[in-house]
Amino acid sequence: MKPRVAFFDFSSCEGCQLQIADLEEEILDLIEIVDVVSFREVMKEHSDEYDIAIIEGSIMRPMDEHRLRKIRNKCKILIALGACATIGGINKIRNQWPVKNVIKEVYKDADIEDNKFFNVSPTKAVNEVVPVDYYIHGCPINRDEFKNVISSLALGKKPKIPNYPVCVECKKNENVCLFELGKFCLGPITRAGCGAICPTNGSACDGCRGILSKPDVECVMDLLERYDLTYEEMKNRCTIYNTGVFNPKDGMTLVRRSKR
Amino acid sequence: MSKFKNIKVITKKELDKFVNSLIKNEKYDVIGVKEKGIRFAFGSIESADELRLDYDVTILPPKKYFLPQIEKLMDFNLEKNFDFKKQNNQKPMIIFGIHPYDIIALQQTDKLYLDQQVDDFYKKRRDSSIIVGVDIQKVSEKSFAASMNTHITDSGFDLLLTNIGDYYTVTIGTEKGEKLLNEYAKTKPATISEIKKIDEVRKKTAKKFTKVLKIKKEQWSNVLAANYNHPIWEKRSQKCMECSSCTMVCPTCYCYDVHDDVSLDLKKGERYRTWDGCLIRDFTKIGSGEVFRDDVEKRYRHRFYRKGNYLPERYGFVACVGCGRCGIACLPDIASPCDVINDLSHFERSDVTDKFFIKYSSSVKEKGIIHIPRSATIKRMEQLTKTEMFFEIELDNGEPLGHMPGQFVEVSIFGVGEAPISVSSGPNDSSSFELVVRKVGDVTGRLFKMKPGEKIGIRGPFGNGFDVKSFENKNILLSAGGLGIVPMRSLIEYVLEPNNRKNYKDITILYGAKEPSLILFPEEFKDWSKVDDVKCELTVDKCAEGDCWMGCTGLITTLYPKIKLDKYDSENTIAVIIGPPIVYNFIIKCLQTLGIPDKNIYVSLERRMKCGVGKCGHCQINGVYVCKEGPVFNYKDVKNLPEAFE
Repeated sequence: MKPRVAFFDFSSCEGCQLQIADLEEEILDLIEIVDVVSFREVMKEHSDEYDIAIIEGSIMRPMDEHRLRKIRNKCKILIALGACATIGGINKIRNQWPVKNVIKEVYKDADIEDNKFFNVSPTKAVNEVVPVDYYIHGCPINRDEFKNVISSLALGKKPKIPNYPVCVECKKNENVCLFELGKFCLGPITRAGCGAICPTNGSACDGCRGILSKPDVECVMDLLERYDLTYEEMKNRCTIYNTGVFNPKDGMTLVRRSKR
Repeated sequence: MSKFKNIKVITKKELDKFVNSLIKNEKYDVIGVKEKGIRFAFGSIESADELRLDYDVTILPPKKYFLPQIEKLMDFNLEKNFDFKKQNNQKPMIIFGIHPYDIIALQQTDKLYLDQQVDDFYKKRRDSSIIVGVDIQKVSEKSFAASMNTHITDSGFDLLLTNIGDYYTVTIGTEKGEKLLNEYAKTKPATISEIKKIDEVRKKTAKKFTKVLKIKKEQWSNVLAANYNHPIWEKRSQKCMECSSCTMVCPTCYCYDVHDDVSLDLKKGERYRTWDGCLIRDFTKIGSGEVFRDDVEKRYRHRFYRKGNYLPERYGFVACVGCGRCGIACLPDIASPCDVINDLSHFERSDVTDKFFIKYSSSVKEKGIIHIPRSATIKRMEQLTKTEMFFEIELDNGEPLGHMPGQFVEVSIFGVGEAPISVSSGPNDSSSFELVVRKVGDVTGRLFKMKPGEKIGIRGPFGNGFDVKSFENKNILLSAGGLGIVPMRSLIEYVLEPNNRKNYKDITILYGAKEPSLILFPEEFKDWSKVDDVKCELTVDKCAEGDCWMGCTGLITTLYPKIKLDKYDSENTIAVIIGPPIVYNFIIKCLQTLGIPDKNIYVSLERRMKCGVGKCGHCQINGVYVCKEGPVFNYKDVKNLPEAFE
């Protein structure tokens, strides 16, 4: 029997599921190796019998945690899909402030006090609530990587998710380093797998695939000075997807890398 | 200079015509240096106008045309049992504008890739290319090529251009180059004064290098040998971002990894190789998850030793050509060998020099073409324990594997990958051999799910096995810990084989397993002890409640006091240890207590062996390739290798 796959969305733009829907005719190959039993973006049928649960989105509310735990109990393999799910991503920006301040800022004086849908907790990545078996990183995800993960699992091998930084792929693409062009790029410390798509097209890496190592404070200060970059620019870049990875208090106090 | 009677001059206009007519001809891919933003890069050129022979340095070296970033090795078809097609097509190419240091880097890579185990894929690309070099016109600020004497070269090119002002001179390096020139370019012979100008230009260029080495490159190896534990490695590596940019842009870095990709319908796929770098943490990671160079400090240091000590000791050249690319690419600016060597040159202590290298080469050459597996069939499978499976494998060509005890093969499964596995049976004339596999990674996991009759690929046998001839007329003491009994069995079968048994004196086999249920080959173990003058001792670390176990309990080291010293002529005893990394130091101590000299001790070491032929770089212990010089080593040769028993 083919493994049954179900997609679930939490707090997200659903753009990562859209990437999968965009596989177009390759969807036919996908359903040849798996049974998609739930995928709200492309089908109306739904089943609660599944082996592989693919979770998109961040976990923002106690009721979402409850739903996620139920899914985890039902599935054999749980895959986090996209930056919101794998690292919390953009949704974590709000973790810089207390939840009640955020609610006040967004909903002003609206009457939401007893409404459970507005009972919000600090943003969590999926693995902060339940164990995650595999990660498909990125904002949005890379379709080739999604295909690779699914075909690997179907073949019974561990999906190959790079454990090295974007620089490796960026160098293979022979790009002029963006630091030389006066941009602060998170490529040196961000997980590769995207094919260095942003730097290759002239945009500095925002770190959407998660931070691999935290460089030495001295090293970063050195870097800012050498390339005439501002602390502000670095701080902004690090909070787009990775709020809390660095010291959350001021968003960006670098932690000395410990010996592994 | 007299070496090149054949020096021509060409006007700049005629040079452009030469390039354009080659482009028009379409027989070759015409490649040259072009602008790329604020820097330069090699790329296909559509017109001579694009060619920038006045560049300082390109972002990537021209190695990308010989060892591409991603190179397909073969296509495979998963709908059939063992079906693949080797990919090796290459349109001839002409590369314009390679600087001398990059030409020298290519010559170095030739030494490694075209040695006794020729890399076919590389060779094809080299053979079908024409190198048109150019003398440096503008010096890159980070380059120290003049200190390395790599700013000039008198070989390694088909043609070499030098800008002598109004003209270029063309030095002809090969017949191939000469033919091309005669066919496509309008030149005239160079006059004596024009030839003199070449030297003047080169001397002038040499003076423009601002980065200068304080010591000669011939001294690198000694300086590094004396400073392995210098605080500079920790201090500088603290700034390392572990991005491996330094290795990616290096013209003399050639390590690679091999992956299988499969189409979404699981019907077909491809095996390809791609650049890997030793600064990446997973570079040394093996199937079971162990990482052999875990600290960034060790990885950072490894790169410099590889360039300045390991390869120079092995091949006689410093594997750095001073191009300065790593210095440009490294954001914290800690990558330039020039800076590191200059810093260390203050600290040289010539009295202490460690050796990181041993010289003996592999006895067996890979049969067939590199990376191409031979078809084999699984004849028999038997689950030995909950994590170990026994396989009898037969080569489909009917030939025996031809291995020595202690050697290994690469098991290849299309779509999944390759894994190094020790051969567990002794050498014999039959076409089948035996493997025991522990389920730890993808390939081994897949092997567990296969069935007799299914086909797998085999490459090898690889490496050096046990030198069984030198064991003759000696007592033999074998120590196997855990899975170490698997390769040890190939040696045991060999020495106990009736024809061979008489060549060896007393044989003692010590075997320590974790628990009774994990003992491998318990019946064979009993049989072995029945042979004359063979003593077998077995122990388990612990016995789980409910398990029935009448034998010894305790670590394998508890078995050594039982060995009667008086009976043992320790000088005349060969000891062999195979086990998990942690047991070596303990067992070696026990053997030394028994008085067995280091030169009589043999060990088999495990590392990440990917290519099996000393090219991909993953299995290195300091300057030693485990896949080639090992996996079996004489202990006296490796005991001083700092990375061997860490």
